Amino acid sequence: MQKIQLILAKAGMTLARDVFRGDSPVGMPICGKGTELTEALIARFESMDVHNVYIEGHPIHVEGESSLDDLLLKLDYRFSKTLQEPLNLIMYDIYKAYLIKSMGGNSDQIAE
Amino acid sequence: MTKSRSDLKKIIMDTRTLPTLPNVINKLNSLSDNEKSSVQEMARIVSSDQVLSARILRLANSPSYGFYRVSTISNAMILLGVNVVKSLALSSSIFAIMEKDSIGLWEHSLGVGAAANLIANKLGLPECEEIATAGLLHDIGKVIITIKCSEAEKDILKLAHERQIYILEAEREIIDTDHAEIGGWLSKSWFLPDKLSEPIAFHHDVAKSKNHHIKTAVVHIADVLICASGFGNSGESFVPPIQKIAWDTLNLNEQLLAELINEIEDRLVEVKAFCLEMIND
Repeated sequence: MQKIQLILAKAGMTLARDVFRGDSPVGMPICGKGTELTEALIARFESMDVHNVYIEGHPIHVEGESSLDDLLLKLDYRFSKTLQEPLNLIMYDIYKAYLIKSMGGNSDQIAE
Repeated sequence: MTKSRSDLKKIIMDTRTLPTLPNVINKLNSLSDNEKSSVQEMARIVSSDQVLSARILRLANSPSYGFYRVSTISNAMILLGVNVVKSLALSSSIFAIMEKDSIGLWEHSLGVGAAANLIANKLGLPECEEIATAGLLHDIGKVIITIKCSEAEKDILKLAHERQIYILEAEREIIDTDHAEIGGWLSKSWFLPDKLSEPIAFHHDVAKSKNHHIKTAVVHIADVLICASGFGNSGESFVPPIQKIAWDTLNLNEQLLAELINEIEDRLVEVKAFCLEMIND
């Protein structure tokens, strides 16, 4: 999942969270997550004061943002004292898969 | 100079040396002991202190509770319960220090509050708001160490870094106690109910919790999850071991944990936005 500015949104991207009028979570929801964006929908969001949307995967690279490799290295470091604990190992594997998925990676990387 | 364990306990139990507690709390305490007092009456007392009310409402609308539309103190008292509002009032001066000087710890605390709330909801546990509050307050002992023993705190961080040990171990070595125990002392001196003080005091040792081991287990797992996620900064570099007793108490399994992590990561996006808003205010 990635939060991007609406001007970077393109048709074909999938919403990862509901979109609210004026970007406010207490505002009126105007489009549900899971919806595939179209040019018409993006124009409509613009007219309803939406500035940011959350989309599936991680299609836009932002300057200064950690790469998947960085994130995985940090995860390994955080778990470096407890990987021999079976329960921590379960948690580690789930987080690793989560990071790979949220950064738009594929399942081959998860299997590695 | 490093303070000894008994000195430290004395200082913590002496509320006069702590950041000033609002006058309102005393009145609230006497009212909540009286069975005849109404929520409206208590809300009126809290509302008389505008700064305190603003702080409580801001926290009541934080992603730790997930309500977003709490607009009055009497609403907060009905939705969150008198205990929770009282704890938020009591800790508001400590939260003020966290927001300003320890943003990493503030983010960690809000993250654990939100995670504890999600776990409690998912498992269908009663008193989710109390559990979220215990999560929010679990590291309050760390703030006390910052305020009361800033020199020792530097030594603790240095030792933990040099020897690559847990903060908890470094604390025990340098001040002969740890943030969980200090949090426990503080919650006792504030007369917080056991359902809040036990998770605070035993979130690193769930087996010691006598009456509220389920709530303590939730806060323990929430703390481990937020450390694992790398969200905020509690000063701890390493994920603590998950205690088997907590895992078994909550009947967790791999699938449940995977679902929880997805939900928590989703909520953390909101927590991050909430923290940024507070810092910019």
